[in-house]
Amino acid sequence: METADLSHHISRRFNEDLERVRTKALSMGGFVEQQLAKAVTALVDGDSNMGEAVARDDYRVNAMEVSIDEECARILATRAPAAGDLRVIVAIIKVITDLERMGDECEKIGYIASRLASQERPADKYREIKHLGRVVEDMVHGALDSFARMDADAAIKVAHQDRWVDEEYESIQRQCITFMMEDPRSIRRALDVMWVVRALERIGDHAKNICEYVVFIVHGKDVRHTRLEDVESELRNPHASGN
Amino acid sequence: MRASDARFVSKQALVSQPSGPVQGLGGWGYALARVTIALAIGAALGLFVGNFWAGLSGALATYLGFQLVQLFRLEYWLRHRNVSDPPDAGGLWGDVVAQVVRLHRRKNFHKKRLIEIFRELRRAAAEMPDGAIILNHEREILWFNRRAAELLNLRRSADLGLRIDNLLRHPSFAGYLSDPESSRGIVIRPKVVEDVWLMFQAMPFGEKQTMLLVRDVSREERIDAMRRDFVANASHELRSPLTVIAGYLETLAGDTAIDPTLRGPLEEMRRQSQRMTAIIDDLLELSRLEASDEQVKGEPVNVPGMIASLRKDALAREHHPSEISAEVDASLWLIGDAGLIQSALSNLVDNAAKYTPDVGRVALRWWRDSAGAHFSVADTGSGIAAEHIPRLTERFYRADPGRSRQTGGSGLGLAIVKHVLHRHGAELEIRSVQGQGSTFTCHFPEARATTALAKSVVAPERIRA
Repeated sequence: METADLSHHISRRFNEDLERVRTKALSMGGFVEQQLAKAVTALVDGDSNMGEAVARDDYRVNAMEVSIDEECARILATRAPAAGDLRVIVAIIKVITDLERMGDECEKIGYIASRLASQERPADKYREIKHLGRVVEDMVHGALDSFARMDADAAIKVAHQDRWVDEEYESIQRQCITFMMEDPRSIRRALDVMWVVRALERIGDHAKNICEYVVFIVHGKDVRHTRLEDVESELRNPHASGN
Repeated sequence: MRASDARFVSKQALVSQPSGPVQGLGGWGYALARVTIALAIGAALGLFVGNFWAGLSGALATYLGFQLVQLFRLEYWLRHRNVSDPPDAGGLWGDVVAQVVRLHRRKNFHKKRLIEIFRELRRAAAEMPDGAIILNHEREILWFNRRAAELLNLRRSADLGLRIDNLLRHPSFAGYLSDPESSRGIVIRPKVVEDVWLMFQAMPFGEKQTMLLVRDVSREERIDAMRRDFVANASHELRSPLTVIAGYLETLAGDTAIDPTLRGPLEEMRRQSQRMTAIIDDLLELSRLEASDEQVKGEPVNVPGMIASLRKDALAREHHPSEISAEVDASLWLIGDAGLIQSALSNLVDNAAKYTPDVGRVALRWWRDSAGAHFSVADTGSGIAAEHIPRLTERFYRADPGRSRQTGGSGLGLAIVKHVLHRHGAELEIRSVQGQGSTFTCHFPEARATTALAKSVVAPERIRA
C-alpha cells in the first residue's frame, strides 16, 4: 500500500515537471509570437524604435531556450522517461530549437526594419510583406495551439499553409527582381526586402516543423521529410503504419 | 391497486409522523400481539396433539417463515424499486415500507429541485454577455461558458483540463495571472493576426480557484487608438504653420523700423505663439507616452544631477520664489528613461516655481527608504482645494481658470507626469492645504532605485549581445 502511494506520488511529480516544462516552452512560443508581430509591424509602419526593441529583446528568447533545454536534460537524467513521455521531452527540445531560430529571424527582420524606416517607403507600403507576415503569424499561432492541445489533425492543417507561404515567397522574389531591373537605385532596398521575406519563409518552415513534432508526439510517427498527403493517408490507415 | 395502497400507507405515515413513538409502539404492539397469538395457538395445538413443545416450535417456525417472506419481499422491492410497487404488508413491516417510501420521495423531490436550480444557473452563466472561465490552482480550465468559447476559440470537452496560459501565450497575460491584484485587468490581443482586443479580469473563486472574466473591448480600443492618432496628427499638422508664424513674429519683434505702437501687440503675439508651441509639444509628448503601456526598462539615471540643474533653471526665471532648497541623496540614482524622468521632474519643479509667490519657499527632496525612492516638491503657494486634487492630472484641467492665462502653462504638465510615472511603475501623491501650500511626491518602486554609477561604467543594457 505504501509503495503504491509512493509511486503514485513520484509519477505525479513527474507529470508536474513535464507539464511545467511544456508550459515554459509555450510561453517562450508566446514571446516569439509577440516578437514576430512587432517585427512585421515595425517594418510595415516604419517604426525604427520598435524594430530596434525587437532586435534587442532577442537575448531573452535565447535565455529561455537555454533554461528549458537544461530542464529537459534534467528530466531525462533523473526520471528516465519512456514512451509517450520521452516523445514529449524529445519534441520539446526540438520545438525550442525551432522557436529560437524563429527568434533569430525576428531579430533580423527587426534590425532591417529599423534601417528601412529611415528610407523612403515603396508605393505599395510593403503590402505583400504585411500579408505574408499575417499568414506566417497565423501559422506560428496555429502550430503552438496544436502543440498546447496535442491535436495532430490541427497540426497537419497548419502544416499545409506552408505551401502557400513558399509560393508567396517565390512571387515576392520575382517582384523584387523586376524592381531591381527597372530601377537600379532600389537594389539595396529590394535586397533588404528579400531578406525579410526570406526570414518570414524560414519562420513558416520552423512552424511546420513544430507541427511535425506534434504529429510525432501524438502518433509516435516521424513525419519529417514526408509529403503531407502521405502523412495524412498513413494516419488514416493505422494498420499500414505499423503502430 | 397496490400502488394506491402504498400511497395510502405512506400518506398515513406522513400524517402520523408527529405522533411517531405512539405509532411505533402501535406497530410493535401489533407485532407482539401476533407473536403471542401464534404462540398461544401453537401451544393449544400442541396440548391438543399431546406434544406441547412440538406445537410451540411449529408456531415459531411458521412465524419465522412469515417474517422471512416479508423480509424477502421488502428486499426484492428495494432492489427493484424503480419498476416494482412496494409490498403490501401490515404491522411493523408496513411501517418500514412506509418510511422507506417517504424517504425515497423526499430525496426525489430535492434531487429534482437541485437539478432544476443547477440547470437554471448553467443557463444563466451561458447567457452571460461576458465570457467566464473557471481555473483551478494549476491554471487548468475547469469550466467555461459559451461566450468565453466564442471569444477564445475554446472547444467544449476537448479544452477542459488544459492550462489557460498554454493557449493564451501573451507574455503579459501570464504575468497578470500570477499577480492579479496588481491591476484591475489586462487588455491583450490574443491572436496577433486578428484585430480583436480582449480584456481579462481574474478574481479568486471558491477554494484555490480563479474566475476569469473575458470581455471584447475591440471597439473601445479602436476608438481610443483613433483618438490618440487624431491628437497626434492634429498637433503634428499644427506645428509647421505655427513655426512659420513664430519665425516672422521673431523677426518683426527685432525690427527697429516698426511703428512703436505695434510693439506691445507684437510682443504679446510672440508670447502667445510660444505658448501654443509649448502646448503642441506637450500634446505630442503625451500622445507618444500614451501610445505604449509597457514599463520602461531604461538605464541608471543621475537624478541628483537632474535636480541640481532643475533648481538652477528655476532660480534663473524672471520671477521665482526667494528660496529653493534641495535636500538630495547624492548616491541615489534611478533606473528609467532619462528623457521621460527629466520631463516629469521639470514639470513638477516648474509648477512649484510658477505658482509660488516671490516671497515663498520651495523645497525639493530626493530620498530612499524601504518602500523605494521618492522625490517631493513642497511649496508655500496658495494651495489647491480638495475637490480639485483627484482631477488635477486630467488634461487641460484647471483648478483656477483665471490663473492659467497669466502663467501660461499648457495644462498638460501633470498629465505628462502621471503617464511618465505610470510607465515607471511609480505613483504621484498630491497633498495640499489651501492657503498653506502643496506637496507633490513621486513614489518610485524599490526595484527602480539604484546607487550611483561611476562615470566609466557602461550600463549593461547598452551592450548588444
